[in-house]
Amino acid sequence: MLNREPGSRTLPTFITLLVIGVLLMTFDVRSDGAGLTGTLRTGAQSIVAPLQKAAAFVVNPVVDLIDSLSNVATLREQNIALQERLAEAEAALIAQQDELALLELYEQLFEIEATGTAIGRTVAQVIGRPGILDQALIIDKGSEDGIAVGQPVIDTNGYVVGSVQHVTAGTAQVIPITAGPDAIAVTVDDHLGTVVPQLNSSEMRLEVQLADAPILAGARVVTSSQSVRFPAGLPVGEVILDAAPVAGLGVVTSVQPFVDLGRLRLVRVLAWPPDPVAAIAQPEPEVDTTTTTVAPDSTTTTGGDG
Amino acid sequence: MRLRSFLVVVTLVVIAVVLQTTLFSQTSLFIPDLMMLLVIVLAMTRTRSELVLGLAFLSGLTLDLLGSSVLGLRAIVFTVVGFVAIRTRDRAEIGRIVTGVWAAALTFGGVVLLLIVGTLFGQTVLLGEGATSKVVLVPLANLILAFAFAPFLVRLIDRDSTAFRYT
Repeated sequence: MLNREPGSRTLPTFITLLVIGVLLMTFDVRSDGAGLTGTLRTGAQSIVAPLQKAAAFVVNPVVDLIDSLSNVATLREQNIALQERLAEAEAALIAQQDELALLELYEQLFEIEATGTAIGRTVAQVIGRPGILDQALIIDKGSEDGIAVGQPVIDTNGYVVGSVQHVTAGTAQVIPITAGPDAIAVTVDDHLGTVVPQLNSSEMRLEVQLADAPILAGARVVTSSQSVRFPAGLPVGEVILDAAPVAGLGVVTSVQPFVDLGRLRLVRVLAWPPDPVAAIAQPEPEVDTTTTTVAPDSTTTTGGDG
Repeated sequence: MRLRSFLVVVTLVVIAVVLQTTLFSQTSLFIPDLMMLLVIVLAMTRTRSELVLGLAFLSGLTLDLLGSSVLGLRAIVFTVVGFVAIRTRDRAEIGRIVTGVWAAALTFGGVVLLLIVGTLFGQTVLLGEGATSKVVLVPLANLILAFAFAPFLVRLIDRDSTAFRYT
C-alpha cells in the first residue's frame, strides 16, 4: 500500500470547488455562453485546435481502415448499391443541366436577371467530438474560412446536419439537429410543421398543427420557407410512422433524419442567410431566393454575404 | 507534487484531451472517458488530495471549455469522482482486476452524474442518441484501460518503480 500525505483539507477543498462549479454553471447559463465564458471557450479551443487537426490527420485514416475491415463482408453489396446510385445521380445531373439550359434560354428571351444572392458553401472535415456524451461535431474550418455562428450545415448529400454553435479561427462546433434544443420549421406533404429532437434517440418528433389529412410513413420532410435557421427545401428526414390528425393537436409522428452522424466525415457549411442584415429586418426568407441560386459544385466559400 | 510529476500530468491531460476528442469520438464500441480515468489514476498516486481535486476540477473545466455544454458541468462531475476516488482508493490496491473494477464503478457513477446534472441544467446536447448505452460502454472501456495502464501511470507520475506491483 502507498503511503500518502494526510488530506485534512480535502472536504473543504471539495466543497469550495463544487460551489465554484455551480457558480460557473449558473453564470454560463445566465450569460447564454456569451461574454467572458465565450471568450474563454474561444481561447481554449484555439489552443487545442492545431493538436486536434494534427491528431485527426493521423487518426481518421486509421479509423476509416478499421471501419473498412469491419465492413469488408458488405463492401461488395455497398459497391453495387453505390454504382446504382451514381448512375441515377448522373442521369439526374443531365436532366438538371437540360433544365438549366432551358432556364437560361427563357432568361435571355424574357430578359430576366438572377438575383445574385448565391449561397456560399465551405466544405469542412469532421475531426471529432468534444466528449463522450457530447453530440456536437468539431469541424476543421473556422472564422478564417468564413464560418460564422448560426450558419446551417449539410452533409455531402445535401441532408441537414445542424448549425454552427461556436467558432474559433481554425475550427467550429456544429450542433446536430438531433441534439439541438430548438425546433426546425419544416414542410411535409404541403403542411407546415416543426421537428424537435428527442432524448436518447436518433429520431425526431414531427408536429403539424393544421393537418387535415393523415401523414403517412415515407413522407419526405424538408425545411420550410418559414425557417429562419435553414434555407427552404433542404431534406431533413422521412416520416416513419403513419399518423392521423387529432382534434386540437394536429398530427404528431416520428421522423428518422437522413443524416448519419456516426459516419459523417465531410460537411458543407452554408453562408446563409446571404444577407444577414436583410434577414434580421425580414425574418421570413423567400423560397425563391434560396432554392434557385445554389451553386451545386462549389467546394469552397464562393459567395454570399453571410 | 514535484515539477517533473506535474509536467507528466499536464502532458497526460493534453494527450487525453486530444485522443478523446479525435480518436475515441469516432469509435462506437470502445468509448473510454480518458480524462475521468486520469482523475481516477491521479487519486491512486501520492499526490496531495487537495491537488488531486484541483486537477480534477481543472481537467473537467478544460473539457467544458472545449465542449458545447454548460461551463462547470464536467468540472463538478470530475471533482466528485476525484473525491470519491480519494475516499475509496485503499480498496483499489488489492489487485489489478480490483483496480479495473473500482475505476469502472467510479466511471459509471461519473457518467450517471453527468447525465443527471446535465438534465437538470437542460443540456439536451448530452442526451442525444446512445446516451444510455454509453452509461455501460464507457465504464467497460475504462475498466480495460485501468486494468492495463493504471499501475504503470501511477509509477510514472510518482516516479516509484515499486508502486502497484501487487505482491
